[in-house]
Amino acid sequence: MIQMYHVYKTYGKDLEALVDVSLHVQKGEFVFLAGSSGAGKSTLLRLIFRDELPTSGQILVNGRNLVRMKPRAVPHLRRMLGIVFQDFKLLRDRTVEDNLALVTRVVGMPGPEGRHRVAQLLKLVGLSHKANMPPYKLSGGEQQRVAIARGLMNDPLILLADEPTGNLDPELAVDVTRLLLEINSRGTTVLVATHDLKLAEEAGRRTVFLKKGRIVEEWP
Amino acid sequence: MREKLKHIFAQALMNLVRAGWGGLASIATIGTSFLIIGIFLLLVLQLNALVAKWREQFRLSVFLEDRITQTQLEILEKRIQNEAAVMSIAFTSKEEALANFRRELKDQESLLEGLGDNPLPASFQLKIREGYQSPDALRRLSAFLTRLEGVEDIQYGQEWIERISNAAYLMKALGIIIGSILTLGSALIVSNTIRLAVYARAGEIEIMRLVGATKAYIRAPFLVEGMLQGSVGALLALGVLFAAYRYIAATSRLASPLFSIATDRGFLEPSMMAALVGGGALIGAIGSSLSVSRFLKT
Repeated sequence: MIQMYHVYKTYGKDLEALVDVSLHVQKGEFVFLAGSSGAGKSTLLRLIFRDELPTSGQILVNGRNLVRMKPRAVPHLRRMLGIVFQDFKLLRDRTVEDNLALVTRVVGMPGPEGRHRVAQLLKLVGLSHKANMPPYKLSGGEQQRVAIARGLMNDPLILLADEPTGNLDPELAVDVTRLLLEINSRGTTVLVATHDLKLAEEAGRRTVFLKKGRIVEEWP
Repeated sequence: MREKLKHIFAQALMNLVRAGWGGLASIATIGTSFLIIGIFLLLVLQLNALVAKWREQFRLSVFLEDRITQTQLEILEKRIQNEAAVMSIAFTSKEEALANFRRELKDQESLLEGLGDNPLPASFQLKIREGYQSPDALRRLSAFLTRLEGVEDIQYGQEWIERISNAAYLMKALGIIIGSILTLGSALIVSNTIRLAVYARAGEIEIMRLVGATKAYIRAPFLVEGMLQGSVGALLALGVLFAAYRYIAATSRLASPLFSIATDRGFLEPSMMAALVGGGALIGAIGSSLSVSRFLKT
C-alpha cells in the first residue's frame, strides 16, 4: 500500500529531516511511527499525502508514484487518504455535522448520500448525539473522534494520524487508539505517528522507530 | 453542477458580507475609478460626435472672380469635379449669395442699403471626401484650386475641426493613461480585500486541501467574490455617471452645443456599458487571483 525507497528529505542546506528511509506498509496493516519530536515522523506523513516532495528517493502509494505525480492529480490521491492531526483542525464556526459535511461538498457527494455518510460515521465514533454542537463544546477526545470521522468520510484506503493522542489525557488516548484499531479491523490501512511508546507497546502492533530522520529499529 | 454553483455563489456572498467595510472600500474604489474612466469615455465620445458632425457639414468654398465668363465657369466646374477629393459641387450665383446674405441678416436689411452694386462673389461649394480632409490634403487642393483661371479665393474652416479632433485624441490618450493607473490600483485594492478573506478562511482551505479539494474548487468562491466587487463597483459608477449626465445635459442643453449633440445620442452605447461592467468583473477576478494564487502556492 505504501512503499518508500531510499527517501531523503533535506530542508535548506543541511537540515536532514529524513535520511535513507525505506518503508513498506502492506494493505490492511496497522503501523506505529514512533520517535521523539523532530525525529521526522511528521515529515514522513507529509510526504505520503504529498504535502511535500522528497529531496530524493521514490514513494509509491497504492501503486502511484508520488514523485512523478502531476499537481492536478494530488486531490485525487488525497481522496484515497484520511488525515488526522494532533490539533484536530476542526472549524469552530460550524457544527460537528457541518464539519463532516464539508467533505461531501468538496468531493461532490450528492446531498442524501452525504447526509447518510455523516450520520453513519458519527455513529461509528459514538457522537451522534452531539451532531449539532460546535466542536469547542466537546472534550478533546470527542473532538479527535470528530476529526477521525472526518478523515473517514472519503472511505479512505489509508488513514494517516499525526500524534492523534498528543493533546489527550491517557484514558482518552487509549480510547482513540482503540477506535483507530477498530477502523483498521474493517480493512483500512492505518499509519500512526506518536511519541507515546507505551501506547504503541500496549497496542502490540508493528512499530517503526525513527531517530534523527533514520529508521533505527522495528518491532516486532 | 447546480449544487456547486449555488455553493460557490453563497460562499462568495458570505465572504463579501464578512468583508464588511473592506468589501465596501473595494467596491467604492472600483466605482470611483470607473466613474473617472466613464467621464473620459463620455467626453471622448461627445467630441468625436462633434467632429464627425462638423466633418459631415464641412464645405470648401471657391470664390469666383466677377469677370468670369459662362464658358470659363463651365470649364472650371468640370475641372473641379474631376478632382478625386471632390465628392460633390454646388454653384451659388452672385444673386443667390446676396439673397442668402439678406436672409441671414433678416431685420437688419437696412445695413445693405448703401451697398449699391452686389459686392458678393459667386462661388462653388465643394463637399470633400473624408480621406481628403486632412490639413495637408486640403492645403494641396487649395493651392491647386487657387491657380485655376477665374478663381478669386479659397476658404475653409478646417483648422477648427482639426483642433477639436486633436483635443479628442489627447483626451483619449489621457483617459487611457489615467484609466490604466486607476484600474491597476483597483485591482490591488480588491486583491487586498480578497487576501483578508483568504486568511479568514485559511483553516477551512487547509482542510479542504487535505480532504482532496481541487484548486479550482477552493479558488472559485474568491474569484466570484472579486468579480462581484468589480462588477457592482462598475454598475454603481454607471448609475452615478448616468444621473450626473442627465442632470448636466438637461440644465445646459441650450447653452452648450456640445451637449445638444450629446442628448441626441443618448448615454453610452449598451455595448460600452456592458464592456465597463465586464471590465470591472475582470479587474476583480485579476485582483482575486493575485491573492489566492500566492496563498495556494505554499
